Amino acid sequence: MFIAGANSPIKNTDYRVVLPFYAYAALAFLVATVLMMADVGAFTQHHFNAKALAITHTMALGWGTMMILGASHQLFPVLIEGKLHSNTLAYLSFIFGAIGIPMLVYAFYTFNFGLVAQAGAIAVNLAVISYLVNLTISIVQTKKHNVHAVSAFTAVIWLLVTTLVGLLLVYNFQTPIFTQASIHYLSLHAHLGIIGWFLLMIIGVGARLIPMFLISKYENQKTLWWIYWLVNGGLISFIIIFIYGGNFLITLIPVALIGAAVILFGRFIYKAYQKRIRKKVDEQVQTSMLSVALIGVPLVIIIGVILIFSTLGNQQFVTLYGFTIFFGWITAIILGMTFKTLPFIVWNKVYHDIAGLGKTPNPKELFKNNIFIANIISYLLGFVILSFGIINSNIIALNIGAGLLLLNALLYNINVFTILFHQSKIK
Amino acid sequence: MSVATNNELKSTIALTGLYHVIDPEIGLNIVDLGLVYEIQFNEDEHVITVIMTLTTQFCPMGESIVDATKQAMQESFLDYEIKVELIFVPAWSPDMISEEGNTFLNG
Repeated sequence: MFIAGANSPIKNTDYRVVLPFYAYAALAFLVATVLMMADVGAFTQHHFNAKALAITHTMALGWGTMMILGASHQLFPVLIEGKLHSNTLAYLSFIFGAIGIPMLVYAFYTFNFGLVAQAGAIAVNLAVISYLVNLTISIVQTKKHNVHAVSAFTAVIWLLVTTLVGLLLVYNFQTPIFTQASIHYLSLHAHLGIIGWFLLMIIGVGARLIPMFLISKYENQKTLWWIYWLVNGGLISFIIIFIYGGNFLITLIPVALIGAAVILFGRFIYKAYQKRIRKKVDEQVQTSMLSVALIGVPLVIIIGVILIFSTLGNQQFVTLYGFTIFFGWITAIILGMTFKTLPFIVWNKVYHDIAGLGKTPNPKELFKNNIFIANIISYLLGFVILSFGIINSNIIALNIGAGLLLLNALLYNINVFTILFHQSKIK
Repeated sequence: MSVATNNELKSTIALTGLYHVIDPEIGLNIVDLGLVYEIQFNEDEHVITVIMTLTTQFCPMGESIVDATKQAMQESFLDYEIKVELIFVPAWSPDMISEEGNTFLNG
């Protein structure tokens, strides 16, 4: 194939903006699994403990959020069919996030909510604000406002609400701001992030990317709008119930709304799969599709908890619920989509300016597929075994599961850094 | 999908080169993928204009595909100026993939 570096009418987001996010997220994933391996006992205690909070925030912010921020700087122009407004704001978003996240994680790990925690929380909020401003101006500058872009934009608004609530909760530890202790607001803070940020963003972007990678003829904007309103309606009803309270049946409303959204999304992806032109689906897209199925797991758990225990008091299930979210569908889609985006960004960087000097490798050749497969096997085994360990408070299963997830993170990092350090093969 | 042109003979030569331009994500050449809409030859000014599209606007690989198209054309037509014009109306759809392309993707 021919590659040239001549003037081009299209300018994508600068790779220098995007790549640091990928590297940071990969390392954060490794750190989270190391912390988990070092403190598997945290999974047998009440979920509000120092180690569990440190692991959760490393996963939620360092892994999930930093990866999505990085990828979306590259992919948002595809969704809005316009340019990203500012590379400087993107850099600022990375710098604030990169500084703030370890401060917060350290504060949680040492269970000290003093200045380090407060400065970390402020920095994380500044990262989100930089990102939101960048996206808002980018959207205003383009005329295309489709369901994917609106979902992604709304998700970032929810992310800001989540991090602002988080900031207030950090202060609330030292100086009472709310009427109750911070632990009371934990489920509100967590669900703002899980549903508003992660679920809405992953549905919005996944509904665009997965059919695109499948080369599917299936399109259904109406269903996607339904999903959008169901997710937002579910989250808003959850907030209202959290503030004003409600009986057993009322607490099922947000679960039902979000459950319906997840079922519709699963159906959407299945139909896209059925109407695909590309019959051979690669392992990376298969993993991303698995993640769609995994969204149902925490939903089943939460329904089980509500129906069987009529309260969220059962510790093992609450911990399992959180685990299946952060190490389940959020991790699965990142493991898959990393290798559908990162190799192409690096390929563009390395080979774009080499004008027809020889045959360039396929972007998929920038990483080792056998390592990817080992990565996914260790992930799935680790996920299942650790889930079993949480349910039974079984330390042996927890150790094996955590070990496998650590192996998964190591293999993932090997592939990611192999891509990041890829040098041109053309002499 | 057939490629419109005002010079069938030279267009055949051009397409031979463009068959070597591969969409890196899909692994299929841009002609069978249906990205090339038209090739216009201006003999007076020695300019060739390739009118093409991308599978999606602001495709992250778009810059490379466009540049590779220019390079492939330049190799076949050394003394011509090559211009690539990107259009998104009509938008690309999977229906534009050729029979050969569909066979490749089904394989």
